[in-house]
Amino acid sequence: MSRYDSSGNYAPDSKSKYRRPRYPFSPWGVVIGLILGLAGGLLYAWVVNPRVEFNTEPWQLSDADRANYIAGITLQYNYDSDLTKAVNRLVVLRLTGDPIQAVADTACKLASSSYVDNSSGQRAVRSMMTFYQLQGRTGCADTLMALTDQSTPNALIEAATPTLRPPATKTPTPPIPVTVVPTQQIVVIPSIQPQADFTLVDVRTYCSKELSGLIEVRVQDYNGDPIPGASITVKWDSGESSFVTGLKPERGADYADFQMDGGKSYTVQVAGRSDPSQALVAGSCNDPDTGQAALISYRATFRPQ
Amino acid sequence: MIRFLLSLIVALVIGAVIGLYFGWVRFPVLYLNSPAASLADRYKDEYTTMVATGYLKDGDLGGAVDRLRVLGLPNIPAYVQSVTERYISNSQDSNDIAYLVALSEGLGRLTPIMQPYSQLHAPGQQP
Repeated sequence: MSRYDSSGNYAPDSKSKYRRPRYPFSPWGVVIGLILGLAGGLLYAWVVNPRVEFNTEPWQLSDADRANYIAGITLQYNYDSDLTKAVNRLVVLRLTGDPIQAVADTACKLASSSYVDNSSGQRAVRSMMTFYQLQGRTGCADTLMALTDQSTPNALIEAATPTLRPPATKTPTPPIPVTVVPTQQIVVIPSIQPQADFTLVDVRTYCSKELSGLIEVRVQDYNGDPIPGASITVKWDSGESSFVTGLKPERGADYADFQMDGGKSYTVQVAGRSDPSQALVAGSCNDPDTGQAALISYRATFRPQ
Repeated sequence: MIRFLLSLIVALVIGAVIGLYFGWVRFPVLYLNSPAASLADRYKDEYTTMVATGYLKDGDLGGAVDRLRVLGLPNIPAYVQSVTERYISNSQDSNDIAYLVALSEGLGRLTPIMQPYSQLHAPGQQP
């Protein structure tokens, strides 16, 4: 069969592009247009007209304003001694490493700057020092400033009112016997928080030479989401220790741990909000990986009842 | 050529829309080193409460005003009054209300709605 048509032209092959139907659009045009459009859109949205800044969170603040925020937190802590609230607010600041040590570092910076040139700044730094010292941390502010306020108290000025001189009397006024009657002190008894909000849902043991004799505690909500700043108490026969979750952010916001001594028994609880756990004994065991002797470690998880 | 130009223009528009969506909605500019003035309202309220508590502790009214100045407010006493009244209206935590009322009172703005909550006083503040 001849491939020449009636006009004498040579007909293209059946697979030739001249025989394929034409796309309604140009693929090159689409690709180039999309790339240019995307680049232009991003340039406009990120550089020319970025989204107006609002609803900034404390962790986005500049160093100076973050220091002010920390001062606010510690000032409130100095008044209400609510460690959980203070730690929760520090966690929001997303400070790197140990948040309480970060407070000590911030106090150090402020104490060596002009921030402490006035008494308000000094009080703020002292509130930070009180906060981190109570949690067993230290910082350079300890050597730069005294913890107690040695400044003069705020003067309270009252406008004087002129008093008329009383007329002289002929007979001297007998002295009035003065008896001081102490007013009865009002004792405010704090209301008791509801007990046993949390319950120990899981306790597991493991044996590791590296993590020998460790109680790992996690406090979570109903959904298993972490609760930072929860106060944990560990008790043993001769003492107790309190600490809060979230101070080791690399292990999770709900994490806290306690190092046991060998041969002792311990109970762990969410401070004032759960019953004590069963006795966790720091007995000996052998690490299954290395075969070396270690102390039994525990993983305990608390959740709301 | 017309086919190419039409395709380019349509794709350009679609690309720009996608770019704006990603730039404004999905991955907007993340601001760091922000001033305290741009804090979300809830954190401004929280900070004001902290400052009010600090005032209750040390009675340093000037210090409290200094600390609130970082929020970039044109009228700090009016702002404290507004926050306090909002807390009362919204039945927020009674302790926080008492702290704010004390600061508001210290700033000379004890309004009738605050009077029932005026229980705490800073050192040197007349009850």
